[in-house]
Amino acid sequence: MPGNDRKSLEERDGDPDFLRGPEDEFPEVPATEGGRTGFSRRSFLKAAGFATAGALMGCKPAPLKKAIPYLIPAEEITPGRAYWYASMCGACPAGCGILIKNRDGRPIKLEGNPAHPLARGGLCVVGQAAVLGLYDSQRLKAPVSGGKESSWPAVDEAIRGRLKKIRASRGKVRFLTGTITSPTARRMISSFMASFADGKQVVYDALSASAILDAHEASHGARVLPRYLFDRADCIVSFDADFLGTWISPVEYTAGYTAKRALPALSHHTQIESRLSLTGSNADKRIRVGPSDIGLVLAHLARRLAEDAGSPLSFRTLPPLPIDTGALNEMIERLLSNRGKSLVVSGLNDVDAQRLVNLVNHILGNYGTTLDVKRPSYQKQGNDRDLYALLDDMESGEVAGIFLHGVNPVYDLPDGTRFAAAMKKVGLVVGFAERSDETASLAHHICPEHHFLESWSDAEPVAGILTITQPAIRPLGGTRSLMESISAWMGTPKADYDLLREAWRSSVFTRQTLERSYQAFWDKTVHDGYAMVGATPVGTHPFSSSVMKGVPGPRPAEWTLVLYAKIGLLDGRHAHNPWLQELPDPISKITWDNYVNVSPATAARFGISDGDVLRIAAGSVAVELPAHVQPGQHDAVASIALGYGRKGTDRFANVGPQWLEGRPTVPEGGLVGKNAAPFRGFDGRSIQDWKPGVTVTRTGRRYDLASAQTYHSLSVPERMRGANPEPRPIVQEATLDAFLKNPAAGATRGEDPASLWPEDHKYTGARWGMAIDLSACTGCGACVVACQAENNVPVVGKDEVRRRREMHWIRIDRYYAERGNGDVGVVFQPVMCHQCGNAPCETVCPVLATVHSSEGLNQQVYNRCVGTRYCANNCPYKVRRFNWFDYPHEDKLQNMVLNPDVTIRSRGIMEKCTFCVQRIQEAKAEARRQGRTLMDGDVQPACMQSCPAKAIAFGNANDPESTVSKRKRDPRWYRVLAELNVDPSVGYLRVIRNREEG
Amino acid sequence: MSTGARTYPPAHEPLISGDKTLKQITEDVCAPIERRPTWLWWVGFLASFCALVLGIAAVSYQVATGIGTWGLNRTVGWAFDITNFVFWIGIGHAGTLISAILFLFRQKWRTSINRSAEAMTIFAVMCAGVFPLIHMGRPWLAYWVLPYPNYRGPLWVNFRSPLLWDVFAISTYFTISAVFWFLGLVPDLATLRDRATTKIRKFLFGLFSLGWDGSNRTWMRYETVYLLLAGLATPLVLSVHTIVSFDFATSVIPGWHTTIFPPYFVAGAIFSGFGMVLTLMLVTRKVLRFEDYITIGHIEAMCKIIIATGSIVGLAYGTEFFMAWYSANEYERFVFFNRALGPFAWAYWTMVLCNVITPQLLWFKKIRTNPGIVFVLSLVVNVGMWFERFVIIVTSLHRDYLPSSWADYSPTLVEVSTLVGSFGLFFTCFFLFARFLPMIAMGEIKGVVGYTERTTNVHE
Repeated sequence: MPGNDRKSLEERDGDPDFLRGPEDEFPEVPATEGGRTGFSRRSFLKAAGFATAGALMGCKPAPLKKAIPYLIPAEEITPGRAYWYASMCGACPAGCGILIKNRDGRPIKLEGNPAHPLARGGLCVVGQAAVLGLYDSQRLKAPVSGGKESSWPAVDEAIRGRLKKIRASRGKVRFLTGTITSPTARRMISSFMASFADGKQVVYDALSASAILDAHEASHGARVLPRYLFDRADCIVSFDADFLGTWISPVEYTAGYTAKRALPALSHHTQIESRLSLTGSNADKRIRVGPSDIGLVLAHLARRLAEDAGSPLSFRTLPPLPIDTGALNEMIERLLSNRGKSLVVSGLNDVDAQRLVNLVNHILGNYGTTLDVKRPSYQKQGNDRDLYALLDDMESGEVAGIFLHGVNPVYDLPDGTRFAAAMKKVGLVVGFAERSDETASLAHHICPEHHFLESWSDAEPVAGILTITQPAIRPLGGTRSLMESISAWMGTPKADYDLLREAWRSSVFTRQTLERSYQAFWDKTVHDGYAMVGATPVGTHPFSSSVMKGVPGPRPAEWTLVLYAKIGLLDGRHAHNPWLQELPDPISKITWDNYVNVSPATAARFGISDGDVLRIAAGSVAVELPAHVQPGQHDAVASIALGYGRKGTDRFANVGPQWLEGRPTVPEGGLVGKNAAPFRGFDGRSIQDWKPGVTVTRTGRRYDLASAQTYHSLSVPERMRGANPEPRPIVQEATLDAFLKNPAAGATRGEDPASLWPEDHKYTGARWGMAIDLSACTGCGACVVACQAENNVPVVGKDEVRRRREMHWIRIDRYYAERGNGDVGVVFQPVMCHQCGNAPCETVCPVLATVHSSEGLNQQVYNRCVGTRYCANNCPYKVRRFNWFDYPHEDKLQNMVLNPDVTIRSRGIMEKCTFCVQRIQEAKAEARRQGRTLMDGDVQPACMQSCPAKAIAFGNANDPESTVSKRKRDPRWYRVLAELNVDPSVGYLRVIRNREEG
Repeated sequence: MSTGARTYPPAHEPLISGDKTLKQITEDVCAPIERRPTWLWWVGFLASFCALVLGIAAVSYQVATGIGTWGLNRTVGWAFDITNFVFWIGIGHAGTLISAILFLFRQKWRTSINRSAEAMTIFAVMCAGVFPLIHMGRPWLAYWVLPYPNYRGPLWVNFRSPLLWDVFAISTYFTISAVFWFLGLVPDLATLRDRATTKIRKFLFGLFSLGWDGSNRTWMRYETVYLLLAGLATPLVLSVHTIVSFDFATSVIPGWHTTIFPPYFVAGAIFSGFGMVLTLMLVTRKVLRFEDYITIGHIEAMCKIIIATGSIVGLAYGTEFFMAWYSANEYERFVFFNRALGPFAWAYWTMVLCNVITPQLLWFKKIRTNPGIVFVLSLVVNVGMWFERFVIIVTSLHRDYLPSSWADYSPTLVEVSTLVGSFGLFFTCFFLFARFLPMIAMGEIKGVVGYTERTTNVHE
């Protein structure tokens, strides 16, 4: 261009395209096809349109998951709603009534039936975990013959054929069962046995109460287990009976016991034992003696009371009293002042000791008030002598056929191998076990029974109280109930429902007079879950104290081994339940293992520390287990839990997350724990669970135990006590005397009234709160498993627990307080998220994953959490749980137990107790649907609902009449760490013990 | 400026020894960049790189598998992760102090070390920034800490959370430091561009020197921007570590809940940062023959800062202890007993030995002026400062209010590898920096070299 010196290269070179440019400064619209730009607007729109259409055509619709709607919907089923069915728990013979929560045709939660007269709404750990046992993928799905899967027709034919031969040869047939409380089943078994020339049912319980029954046969003429009515006892003396934990019917006894612990009239509980049991840890007075001395103290007590009553016993001289005479005097005085309102019980399986117990109760006039033999309990019916007689018969080849139901003698008898060998001599061995366990694997045929949640049955745990077990799901596998199997082999096969109905029409309906119509009676019972019917009083003769022998004197021994049952596994029947394996033992807080308990003094003396592997040997029996220092245990006692070393528990080897430094839950080639049953003994009358004169040696090896709590005192370690001499006021205690003088006794400091926080969050609607009565809480752990079941809390495996990463949302802290002389005080404190009003966790989450609700809940928003863990660090109660890994949920069958109302959390997310917000929301919706306000008791979080002691109260703190508000006004009420001004919504009622100061 | 008269202020030694001319300075500083790297460099670089690879492997494994691969548990939710984070951020503070604060205070001796120190800051902040990312349970959602507009409410972040303040503080710190460092580099990159012999070097240095033409106008603008950035960076020295200390100070945990943390942490940061600067510089000056630029005087000055800040840290330890006793709060008192006598007493006493006792040696001039001893002491300082953060975090968490939750902690292989990897990242970056970029700020140092007649002739 003229006048412009600058030229571009194109201009200089005379590029024709460039030169054309200035003339075509404003190209006409529309742009020429394929012009300079090469792609016009119209082409673009065409292309875009085609591209979109093409893309959409290529897209497949979201893959259709198989959703098969009901063609004809079931009338009463609304998907998404839970349906409740009354039934009975079959996890142990105690027979607590339950309500089964059914979602979409499968049970997901068991709860105690509040109307049931025995359990009164509580359910223990074993009951809560039983629902998981239903979804065990290792349960047999079909009968097994000779180790191979078979079919019912084939097995029935084989068995019937064999039975025909036995009948022809008039051979002996035995039906070996555990305690069966079902009258219908017992009747069927007895008629089945009656069809043989020599057929008999033999009952034995692994956790045997045979001595109690034998003792009553001697003293009252009837071989019965009395019904113990703890709710009528103001003074309880227990000689090694763990009635709050594992003895006979703990839920029933806890409910009764707690009823009498209502202040200000507190009952008095003395426990005489050699190891620290759950019951002993709750006792007002605990006397620690060696195992053989328990009976001796009892003998002294009996002798003193008999002398007092004017009919002295004919003992030879007794060895001296092993405890302080003052303590015995006190016990006697207390018992005598509570005639007719006291209860002496003993867990010793020794007939002589039990006869002494009967004598004591008789002298105190307790029969008829706190003990009932006229309407007895049927919760234990075992007869150890009959069992050993059977064993002798089997060994001599006299038994032609044996049926084994609900027992595992090869595992839990001291001479299990003897039983296994004897089984080989029996022509027909039929088991009913749900898996090929130690005993059933040696049977010719296994006819697997339904799980109790899948079957129709009945029960009479206590005379006059009948329960019906109804199924909540169709049988998952090809199993068959016991009654059906028997009826098939008797030649008249019938469904168990029909058998039950017939039996009830003829035998049960006639025992009651309230209902006229059988159908109405049946419907009412199935609906309510129980029926109270008349019970013919058992015929007893007046108390006979003939020929009472003294108990054997103490056998001096360096070490005595005591075997005991743990609350989660009992006799080992639930060893395949991961919830129970991971439940921290209420006393030791150890999971996934058994161990040898030794007292602190003994451990110091021999230089034993936690985790040192010890070898316990008695004769040819030996076991190697890690040591655990157990405060409160007698110095000469080593104790080991039964129920471990079960066959098949190696399935839990990889139950936890697998990673580089992760260790398997089960040692290589091993099982969970070791079986201690070989140390049991039989003294000719009953099975003994203690063995004097064992040797204990150190192997020098170490084994890490996985414990959920590693520091056990409220006081800081000794050498750091300089500035902190007092125990921390986390659990506050007072004696009854102090309490009666000052209801706020035990309070350490008042709550700080002044606060810098403005009152800008008014809770106008409900404000949810909890109040836990620490005097009522026994530490049983039912709340822990209930929460796990309700909230889909994962199982993490032993290594993770060892690393202190267990996932339980609620935990029970257990603290020891040394009392000198090796005595120890124990307190329990359930701790869950306190839903603080000024929550320290809420302020520190960077992404607002934890916020506060208008009803006072601290909400954890799983979807938003990025997992920085500051909230967990800032929680003074340490109640938050982090998902360290993706926990395995591969087992599809087991996933059926998951509660659909609660999300499954993925890796990297924080979770914690929500006060069962899903239950709160459900209750609110239900109330709104019914057009009414929410009432106290409408919302019951899982922990509160399950507690056999009703220790946890939950409700609306804004309602002055709610239980929570009433407990808040109780002078015993306090909050943990209130001085931090976090305003927790959970309060505790101080522990009041009926003991003297000090 | 060019009067020709000697203008050393009295009582000052020459800042740069050896009577360097401007040309000599250029030659000395550019020499390591322009020659082939020595075997020492290769050894150092490869070792660092191996450590970095180990770290990457460990972090990948941890992100893919879960935080469970670390030794944390429900009581001790933070340990190595946040210790490393605070450690690295603390180290960065020295660089910013040297670059910005000493500039504002007209401490001309800073010019020998400020480039390397600022580079150290950048790399330290990079190392530090990795940890908040990977310590999250779901790091792929880390962007949720950023307040970006969205349709979910809109859902904002929690402005009351110290972790969020960290996000702002660290990103500000990194941004300002990077910009400051880069802009400071521009004149030197231009020098390298002009001296470049290969095409790639010419291109890259040319690109990054942003067309620097060395004119008066450019220099004036440069100096203005430099001053402004120094002013912006100065408060960061105090604020960033204060914010980081709020991660602990705003919590309710005894041992964390204390108002002394902001000044204590800032002093500690400067303390540890100078320790790292000394470690790096003492090696650098020996290997690259920079003794004339990083003189004993510089080392002495840095040691004085170390002893000052170290004494503040020691005073803070004493104050914490006193206040715990004076408060009569049983939980607070126990934390300190537990630190000194509990299971982590070995870490506590290491910390006290390294941070309080050994730096006292620097009171002695003989020690201050001995590069060998000072090098060892600088390492000790950093070990001590790492343990200080470890002690603060782990001992406060592992035994807090409820004794039932008291737990132990021990690191896993993955955690240790991650720590080693962070050192790997730091040193890899530093070795690369030493190889490709001028370690001494030529432009600035020429401004403070001694003024003799010879130096007026720039082109000599």
